[in-house]
Amino acid sequence: MFSIYKKELQSFFFTPFAYVVSALFLFMFTFVFNGGLGNLDQATYFFSFPNVFYNVIIMFIFLIPILTMRTFADERKFGTEVLLMTSPINVVQIIIGKYLANITVFIFMLAGSLFFPIYASIKGDVVESQLICAYLGFFLWGAMYIAIGQLVSSFTENSIIAAILGEIVMFVFLFVDDFAMTEFIAQYPGLQAALYAFAAQPRFAYFSQGFIRLSDIVFFVSAIIVCLVWNYISIEQRRWKRG
Amino acid sequence: MITIENLTKYYGNNRAVNNISFTINDNEILGFLGPNGAGKSTTMNMIAGFLPMTAGKVTICGNDITKEPVKAKKNLGYLPEIPPVYPDMRVREYLSFCAGLKRIPMTKKSEEIKRVMNLLKITDVKDKLIKNLSKGYKQRVGFAQALLGNPKFLILDEPTVGLDPKQVTEVRSIIKDLKKEHSVIFSSHILSEVSAVCDRVVIINKGDIKAIDTIENLEKQTGGSLILHIRVKGSRTVASNIIEMTDGVKEITKINVEGDDVYEFTVQLDGDGEAIKNKIMLELMNNGIQISEIFTEKPDLESVFVKLINSKSSKSGIEELFDEIKAENPETPDDEADSDNAEKEDNE
Repeated sequence: MFSIYKKELQSFFFTPFAYVVSALFLFMFTFVFNGGLGNLDQATYFFSFPNVFYNVIIMFIFLIPILTMRTFADERKFGTEVLLMTSPINVVQIIIGKYLANITVFIFMLAGSLFFPIYASIKGDVVESQLICAYLGFFLWGAMYIAIGQLVSSFTENSIIAAILGEIVMFVFLFVDDFAMTEFIAQYPGLQAALYAFAAQPRFAYFSQGFIRLSDIVFFVSAIIVCLVWNYISIEQRRWKRG
Repeated sequence: MITIENLTKYYGNNRAVNNISFTINDNEILGFLGPNGAGKSTTMNMIAGFLPMTAGKVTICGNDITKEPVKAKKNLGYLPEIPPVYPDMRVREYLSFCAGLKRIPMTKKSEEIKRVMNLLKITDVKDKLIKNLSKGYKQRVGFAQALLGNPKFLILDEPTVGLDPKQVTEVRSIIKDLKKEHSVIFSSHILSEVSAVCDRVVIINKGDIKAIDTIENLEKQTGGSLILHIRVKGSRTVASNIIEMTDGVKEITKINVEGDDVYEFTVQLDGDGEAIKNKIMLELMNNGIQISEIFTEKPDLESVFVKLINSKSSKSGIEELFDEIKAENPETPDDEADSDNAEKEDNE
């Protein structure tokens, strides 16, 4: 497992990949942050970091798939899947090794964004409880999206298709609560409740207000577990169906 | 020892491998021979534990590959048809990653990598990106990966495809050397390669095993009859009449037109080759036909191979074999065998 993790990290950090993705993330973060600062006088609510995160999460839809699209698609494309499958390690180790490597790059990305709150806390006041909770929520949301992206990547050997599929799924996850709130869905309260249960945004809202609720953590963690287990099934299933 | 029992693989409704069984003994090189699409790669993928089998069992040193995959795979080095290399890695980095996958302890890692790099002569490219290497070097890097950790069994799927003649001889001699410590299963569709390297051969076609035997035994199967080649200048009818009338001639299998009134006959003999040769020579000269070349040779393994592969067909005899080889009509039932033969001729 460690060797897979190490190899994945090498492929991110020995190439410009991790740096380009992180730079893109920081660019978006800065853009939103500065936008928020610029509109300070018109802001309905007070300006806060959780608000910035809210806006940045939409960018996740484009960023995370870029990070995860190659995870399994490239292994298939280059035929190196055979190497992994015929080595004395099992598929679970492969999946976890790769997942941890993706998470590490994500943490690297997040670490760059710490510059803003640190700078802000030197020059002004930051609500620390909100900030820490927002970061935790942000991390969990990203971790869930990475699990989704990794799962989608195991469906295809074309990394571009993997990225686009991932974007669609993440888009649905982001806006499912808006959809659930439409009048059409409101006619069917059962369906509305079911759809709403899948919504990540309201759960992030609690984090951004400084709440850590067990149910929210359970939501994200269970989503991650479901995706990784599905990832395992999808890889094994393809081996059986191959041909 | 690797035991393969009743291995079967279906792709949907297509049967790729049909109920095959054989064993690989210790310190043995087993050739796995068959035309393209015979099921060689599928079988090897199943032995290596990459593809699950539809039915059957593969046991490596007593460990079932499906039930105890990790234990079984520890004794296995596998070089698939396409070398499983990461284009964006450097050779040394890649081998170090593979050593990690194979759980080689940290302390022995660099020593082990050095050993395989020396063996495959890739030390001078160790800092190059794999994507910049030529096909032959990529193949060798893949081969080096299979040798890491000194596994007891090596499965090599067409290791010499795409290499230049010098590299082919090098790889063959490496495989021969490996016999001292390893057992090797080695697939190829090139017969000369298998006969040069292997102790035993498994011949497979369309998923069925056609023969499992040593090279010597397979050669014996041709019946020990000799083949005579004669190049003559003169009348074709007269010459072929004389040859056919001579005692001990089984049949004329081929007549090649080489030029104006120059023909090359391929004749299958039955009995004492030298005496028949002299008799034919004398008769031909008496009839005013010039002989520019005459020699006898043992039938090669190639014909055994072709015979075994086509053994299902009702027509028998060497005539049909050459028909198949030379077939120009697209109605030939066995396209794969044909393309394979064409390749073999190229190699000669």
